[in-house]
This record gives sequence, C-alpha cells and structure tokens, in this order.
Amino acid sequence: MGEIILDVQNQRTAFATARGSLQAVDGVSFTLERGKTLGIVGESGSGKSVLSRSIMRLLPSTAHTGKGSRVVLNGKDLMTMSEGELRRMRGPEMAIVFQDPMTALNPTMTIGKQIMEVLMFHLKMPKRQARAKAVELLKAVGLPQPDVRVDQYPHQLSGGMRQRVAIAIAIACEPDLLIADEPTTALDVTVQAEILDLLKRMVRERNMAMILITHDMGVVAGQCDDVAVMYAGRIVEKAPVRDLFRNTRMPYTAALLSSIPRVTDPPHRKLDAIEGRPPDLINPPPGCPFAPRCRFAEAACREQVPPLEGPGHHQWACIKPLGEEVAA
Amino acid sequence: MNAPVKEPVGRKVAGETFLAIDDLTVEYPLGRGRKVHAVTNFTAHVRRGETLGLVGESGCGKSSAARAVMQLPRPTSGSVKLDGKELTGLRGSALQEARRQFQMIFQDPIASLNPRQTVREIVSAPLEIARIGNRAERDARVAEMLDLVGINPEQAMDRRAHEFSGGQCQRISIARALILKPELLVCDEAVSALDVSVQAQVLNLLEKLKKEFGLTMLFISHDLAVVKHVSDRVAVMYLGKLCELASAETIYARSVHPYTRTLLSAVPHPDPDAVPDKIDMVPGELPSPVNPPSGCRFRTRCPRATDLCAKVVPEEREIAPGHLVACHHPLEN
Repeated sequence: MGEIILDVQNQRTAFATARGSLQAVDGVSFTLERGKTLGIVGESGSGKSVLSRSIMRLLPSTAHTGKGSRVVLNGKDLMTMSEGELRRMRGPEMAIVFQDPMTALNPTMTIGKQIMEVLMFHLKMPKRQARAKAVELLKAVGLPQPDVRVDQYPHQLSGGMRQRVAIAIAIACEPDLLIADEPTTALDVTVQAEILDLLKRMVRERNMAMILITHDMGVVAGQCDDVAVMYAGRIVEKAPVRDLFRNTRMPYTAALLSSIPRVTDPPHRKLDAIEGRPPDLINPPPGCPFAPRCRFAEAACREQVPPLEGPGHHQWACIKPLGEEVAA
Repeated sequence: MNAPVKEPVGRKVAGETFLAIDDLTVEYPLGRGRKVHAVTNFTAHVRRGETLGLVGESGCGKSSAARAVMQLPRPTSGSVKLDGKELTGLRGSALQEARRQFQMIFQDPIASLNPRQTVREIVSAPLEIARIGNRAERDARVAEMLDLVGINPEQAMDRRAHEFSGGQCQRISIARALILKPELLVCDEAVSALDVSVQAQVLNLLEKLKKEFGLTMLFISHDLAVVKHVSDRVAVMYLGKLCELASAETIYARSVHPYTRTLLSAVPHPDPDAVPDKIDMVPGELPSPVNPPSGCRFRTRCPRATDLCAKVVPEEREIAPGHLVACHHPLEN
C-alpha cells in the first residue's frame, strides 16, 4: 500500500439559500495514495465540484462546512488552517485545474507572468530563473513555441493551449495533489485525448496523486485507478475501475452506465434513460436519495440512508445491491 | 446567382430527396478583404424521413451549415431546396411562411427560452406568428404538445423557464419547434448541455417524435456516439469542408478518411479494458478558417499527406454505393 497523502473524512458542505440549507456534499470520506488517480464521476448537482472546492478550501462565504468534516493533506489538517497558511499550501502541496481555461486565466497578464507569479511567490525564485522555468514548464505541457508563447496573452491561444497553460501553472510547484475538475469538458475530442494523456504523464513523472472530476464514464475508464460515483452529495459506489464497470453493485451506477450512448452500439438503439431527475437537495427524499428513481427500490430503501459499505476496496451504498440474486 | 449545379455523385439515395443542400458556401467578412471560410462547397441530400448527422470539431462549419439551411443568416452562395422549393431566394413574408416547414432546436436550453415569458407564451408564439387558431384553440394545441414532450401542461403552462431544469427546458424547446408540424427539424447540439441520464431521455423523445411527425432531421453534434444513435447517414466535416459521407454503419465501421478515423479513435470508451486507439494525427493546432491550407484542408495534420494534397483540392469520390470521400490517399477499409 502506498503512502496516503489525502484523507477526507465525513466532509459535509452546505449552502445557505433563500429556500433553506442545501446540502451539496453530505458525508463524503475517502483516502488517496501517492501516484494514484481517483475519478469522481456524477451528474450536475451531484456535489463533485463542491467536494473538490471543499478539499482546496476554495468555498464561497455562503458555504457552511459541517462539524466533524476533516481534510488531511500530507498529515496536515486543512480545516484548522488560516487563509495565509492555506495560500502557502495551494501550489506546492495542492493545485486545481478548472473546466474553463478562459476564465481560469487572467486575461490582462501574459501567460508567462502568470506562471512566474506562482514560482516567485512560493519558491522565492528570482525573476530571471522563474522566466526560464516558465518556458521549461510550457515545453513540458507540449505548448508549441514556448519561448514565443510565454509573452502572449490568453486570448491569443486556442482552448486546448490555454488548458495546457492552466496545467503548467498547476504543476509549477510540483504539488502532491492535483485536482482536475472537468479539465477537458470544454475541449474538442482530439484535444481532450491529448490533454488527458498529458495529465496522466504528469502524474506518473512527478509521482503526484490526482483527483479527476468528470461526468464522462469514458474518461473515467481510461484514466483512473479507482472511481467514486456521486449522487445527491454522497458517494454511492467506490471501487477499482475494473470492478466498477465489470461488477457494478449500485443500481444508480448501472443505470448511468446503460444510459450512455456508445459508438459501438447499432444506430437507433433505444437508450435506457433514467426516468425522473435528481432530488432537491434542500428537501431530500427520506432514505436512499436514488430510491425515487430506482427500479429495484422497496419500502426499506425509503426509510434509512444506506451507508457506504463493502468488502475490501469495493463499496456501495445500497441495501439491495445488484449481483446478490445469484449468491442468495 | 446559382451556377449550374453539377449532379452530385453518391447522394442519390433510395427515396425522395426532401432537403437538397448544393454547393453551400458560408463566409463571414472580417473587413479589408479577409473573410472566415466557415463552409466551402458543401453538398448533401437528405431524403424524406431520414436523419443526417453532421459531425466535426469546433470550427468545422457544422453549425454554420445548419444555420445556412435555416437561412439564419442566408448562405453566401449555393442552394438549399426543401421539397423542391429554393429557400435562399425567399425574402420577408415568403420566408416566414416557408419557415413553418423547418424549425430548429438550439444547444443552450435555458438561453433559448425567453425568461420573461410563460411556457404558454413561448410554445404558442409560432401559432400566433402564423395566425393560427383563436386563443382557446392555441392553448389546446400548446397543452397537447407539452403532453407529447413529457411536460405536465397544467403545472407548466403559467411558469417561466427558470423554474425548469435543463432537460425540461429542452423539452419545451422541442414543443415550440414542433407545434407548427414542421417537416424538417434542425438540431444544433440539442443534447450537448444535458447530463447523460437526461440526454438519454431527450434522445429517446426525439426518436419517438421523429416517427410520430414523420420528421426529416439534420442533427449536428460533436459527440460521435450521440450522432450514431440518431442518424441514418453521417457527414464528417473538417474546417468547412466535407471529408466523408456515408451510412452511419459505414462511417463507424469502415471509414476511409484519415480525419474520420482520427476523430473516432479519440472517443474515450466507457470500458476499462478497451485498448485505447492510437490517435494518428500530426500534433499541432487547427489552422485558421480565415486562411485555410491550400489543397486538402486536413493536410497539415494528416499523417498521409503528400505534395499532391497541398496542390489539389481532393474531389468527392464515391468509393462504394453511397459512400463518399474527399481524400487523395484514403485508408483501406
């Protein structure tokens, strides 16, 4: 077993809204080892992005973190840190790449300056050396003509190039944990493949741990060691990637997998859509949050929230998991 | 204005041609003589009741082509015939009258609905513009359409767009597009903004309505799996030009254009045991549509490119019945 660098315990994040408190992340726990990639997959509103921001402690002031929530990175409890201490952590120990590479970069600064800023603040690098390092980083992320591009502004770059720059900034201080939040959702499919390869290579070469947040099961299948499926603010199934696809236990995961159109399907195949829509997190249904849409749900499912349990590394939050019929 | 259109090869498919797009060119002027070559000499015929999928990456011209079909705006040159009737020459009320026949659904379901109007006003607007029925009759039609797209009319009629989810807004857009019983429906990335479980619902709904209304569809998407699910035939575009056009099965199983293969190999498979395909493309950036490469537009990224590709624009050739490809060096299929 590798070195555990991230330990998240019972993370709960709520937002105050006009209608009441919205529980966006509701008791999420997991650990992550160095060199591993954990995929977090879920639909809009499942809490995956709020979870990533909760780990980075990048939440707006309307957010409320529940009592007992713990995020420990490299043995340091982020919950008890001051904003100043957190700033010094972000960059050298943890970094995030966002979905939209246009809004993530500062439009009024050259990309070189944006990378140098990180190096000069965290590593106290002199300006000259920081510039040389910036060019080196741009080269490492595969930006063509890095010595020319370093003096350009974000608007002069394509979407794929901007995402490469965002990755260069994120890895500049060699963080132990890299969170990539839908890093390729805004990109074309051929560019997506290049960026995913780049992230994979960076994690391997720099021996980082990565959390890859995505809604795309195809991206998860190709990039992750382990996968956590989120629904209504909770992890509902967590497993090594092969087990999740080959031995799916949670009906939500199964429904999600079968609703995906695949290029290997014959044309005009009717898709197995999940009827209904995700629950209202201000006023969630009792019991299992998926029960109202689950074709296997029975009365007991609507009484208690099932805990995330299971043997070994494969866990699910379901009292009527799939694949038990044969065993019984 | 139209040059004599040469008889397009391979587009004659069984059944009656309903939508004929011939030599369509869309250019956007940038001033000082420069222009964006969004679509160049694009030809495709769609038969009645058929769905033609249009795929490609950003900047390939798929949306510009779709909008040119809608006359939003009118194409720079070329011809768009719907049921034999030329659309590009229509103006004013004649165009408005013809628009009853062809409607469109857009990508962003929330932005394409007026936030200040109720669902009743949104869905009945086409009827009012076409001066069909009195208020009660229109309300009845709206209720009927909403019911058909899976929205409860009693609950929805007097609410506004912000009270609905993305998937529900897209259903309302579909109701609005179909209330005049058009014959052609153009879907521009109509399910791209939706979550997969909702996307599946809307795709199934479109397939159902296509049968019920006997629709002919032009379905634009960057998602190759989605396109395969709804299309009878698929056209692949790159930087404003058609690369390959064939039946959906052929495009996905026996494509011969290097760009089509690249695009297919880049799709991530939801299967951890799938061996990732090698993406055979010269690294680099998409060339600018303001100054596209000479000859074949894909040549700067194509591993098979030769001098010929830079000199001569590849003609569209029919390599098998109904399978068109524009490439000097197609792959074996």
